[in-house]
Amino acid sequence: MSMLQDPDMAEIVEDFCQESETIYSQLEEILDSYEDEPESQKLEEFGQIIDRVMGAAKSVDATQTGLYCDLGKTISYKASQSMDQALLDIVVAVLFDTVEILQRLNKNILETKEETVSGINLDAFATRLRWLADKFKDIQRSSVAIAPDETKVEDQKSIDQLLADLGL
Amino acid sequence: MAFNPKQKILIVDDMSTMRKIIKNMLTKMGCTDLHEAEDGAPAWEMVQQAHEAGQPFEFIVSDWNMPQMTGLDFLKNCRADERFKTLPFLMITAEAEQANVIIAVKAGVSNFIVKPFSIVTLKEKIDKIFPG
Repeated sequence: MSMLQDPDMAEIVEDFCQESETIYSQLEEILDSYEDEPESQKLEEFGQIIDRVMGAAKSVDATQTGLYCDLGKTISYKASQSMDQALLDIVVAVLFDTVEILQRLNKNILETKEETVSGINLDAFATRLRWLADKFKDIQRSSVAIAPDETKVEDQKSIDQLLADLGL
Repeated sequence: MAFNPKQKILIVDDMSTMRKIIKNMLTKMGCTDLHEAEDGAPAWEMVQQAHEAGQPFEFIVSDWNMPQMTGLDFLKNCRADERFKTLPFLMITAEAEQANVIIAVKAGVSNFIVKPFSIVTLKEKIDKIFPG
């Protein structure tokens, strides 16, 4: 059973939705502010804030939410290092859409315990986000990570192996 | 030193939901003396104050990515202070990046866990940090 449907997790899932809603409003404010005054650190701030939802979403089995947050984070961090204003305008528009979809997913989790959004092909939107992320492929830093992406490892097992190699 | 569920534990994460999830898992493991902080900065204050009050924290579970003081800087502060050099410190992150793990290990982290994680994984990590 998904945690979203688990009665034992109901309170945590509800808290997650309420907390996420507040964060989504913050994200919208950041994008509004960026439109008024384009400053790269605002996109970096967007990435840092959406990252908060990402970890919690994955932890409550809100996988679609986690995926969109992950892609939104990657795009905003990478965009914050770009000088291509035309592309940045597209990024901000797509990030607005991303936040709107996240809000609708959130509403449905609260109301139905399901991650669905009627009228929108979520996979197609994810593909669009990946396409956009790919536009910044020459920019390496996609997160708060200290080093670039080529050192990325995929899962806890890989991390455990690395920790073992490092003596932990 | 074996893990004692009665020990004083500090959970640090800027997302309240994550703190609740971790608290829930630790409670299921029998832990009772659980405290929370929403950022590395207040957590660092709490660690120092608890020590000065004679009731020090015995285990830290901290997120990496936080706005005021990151988990890494919080860890570095602890390790730079003689009183907290060996304080068990479990780092949690949503970013499974090799370079970050190496940096955290060099900074003196006790172990590292990637979100999302289960109670089983958390227990395994705690058992590694506190071998019986």
